[in-house]
Amino acid sequence: MHIGPVIVLDPEHGGADDGARGSNGLMEKDVVLRFAQTLGGELRAQGYRVVMTRTDDSDPSYDDRDAAANMYRDMIFISLHVSTTGTPGTVHAYYYSFWTPIAAAAAPTSGSASKTASNAAPPGWIPWQQAQRGYEDTSHQFADDLQGELAKSFTGSPAKSTGAEVRELRSVAGPAVAVEASSVSVTDPAVLNNMALPLTAAIIRGIQVYRPRTPQGGS
Amino acid sequence: MPRNLKITIAILLVAVVIGFVSLKSLRRRIQRIKEIPKTEEQVRRELLGPQVSTSSDVNATAQVYWASGPDQLAPVATQLMLSADPVERAKQVLQALIAQPPTPEQRTLPANATLLGFYILPDGTAIADFSDALSSETPSGILSESLAVNSIVETLENNVPGLKRLKILIHGQEVDTLAGHVDLTGFFDLVSPVPPAPANLAPDTGSKPSASAPATSSTGRHR
Repeated sequence: MHIGPVIVLDPEHGGADDGARGSNGLMEKDVVLRFAQTLGGELRAQGYRVVMTRTDDSDPSYDDRDAAANMYRDMIFISLHVSTTGTPGTVHAYYYSFWTPIAAAAAPTSGSASKTASNAAPPGWIPWQQAQRGYEDTSHQFADDLQGELAKSFTGSPAKSTGAEVRELRSVAGPAVAVEASSVSVTDPAVLNNMALPLTAAIIRGIQVYRPRTPQGGS
Repeated sequence: MPRNLKITIAILLVAVVIGFVSLKSLRRRIQRIKEIPKTEEQVRRELLGPQVSTSSDVNATAQVYWASGPDQLAPVATQLMLSADPVERAKQVLQALIAQPPTPEQRTLPANATLLGFYILPDGTAIADFSDALSSETPSGILSESLAVNSIVETLENNVPGLKRLKILIHGQEVDTLAGHVDLTGFFDLVSPVPPAPANLAPDTGSKPSASAPATSSTGRHR
């Protein structure tokens, strides 16, 4: 028995991909794994079912990460990041912001029109590379709920979430956000380590604002 | 000594002297090259010619979007020679974006980045092809990569009329992300506030432009 949706935690990077690197030796891949382990532990303690896209220093592809999330009908995807820049101690929440398709009718050449047609999925099918498109509004809402809670815990963080073309969110078929803390450039690594607990608390509050708890059975 | 041998020795001596002089000259040239090391990007920039000028160029005020604080962009009124041709005009404003940030803190694109090409398709799709440095030298992170992309998008939106969307290539190739985060496989919407009318290409009337417009843009693009 667990409560609410499956929470898929995605500590970005890993393996040969260090992500952002600070002059202090901090590597994004290590910090976000610690964040994810802390957050995952607390979510499980509260009764959530948690899936991690990686639990060690491996580097699954973007598609593997998204596929791990898309196995679940009712899930929430949270990708964790640490930036190179930004005001230390602040946290931003992002949702995927898709471009506007150019209508086939607007394409003036037959070449463009045929390309548009060849890219179109059969009725009822969702193109893998645009799986998130149908969830842009719900992800935006979830990102706003999260950002509101993050702003309470991390002074200087924005009040509203930001639309950005974050790669690993693109093929998630469900509410998906990226949370990025600033930054690996802190002079004292303890600043980042000390963010783990308030970050965990703020994200769980954000989940609960977005999806108030409802007991569910099975998986 | 036979005459043939004398001629041969004379020719050899002349060849040795010429070789010796050439060697000294060659050493001087090598020394000069060593003293002025150039990166691949600098050499490419010289070859491609960073200055874009056309017969329709006029002195005008461009709104170039640079960083304003750690997570925002703001337009800065910048005097540039701008072409009436949208492709050349786009090259001019993007080169200014790379090369002329008012302060190092306002830089959004790496100094070594080069615009290799710019094209506009009939449907209004713009294609900007940058050198590898844009990808390899932009700091990794959603925030920094979004600032970089949005500075390109907003600078184009506000200075080049008629563009609908933008595709960013790196060295002629589509890449997955800019520096590990921001997706470059798709397009970026360009919502130009500038109507495609010749009036927008009119030269400055001589009024001195303001140093900077108010910060109106964050990293987030609200669509």
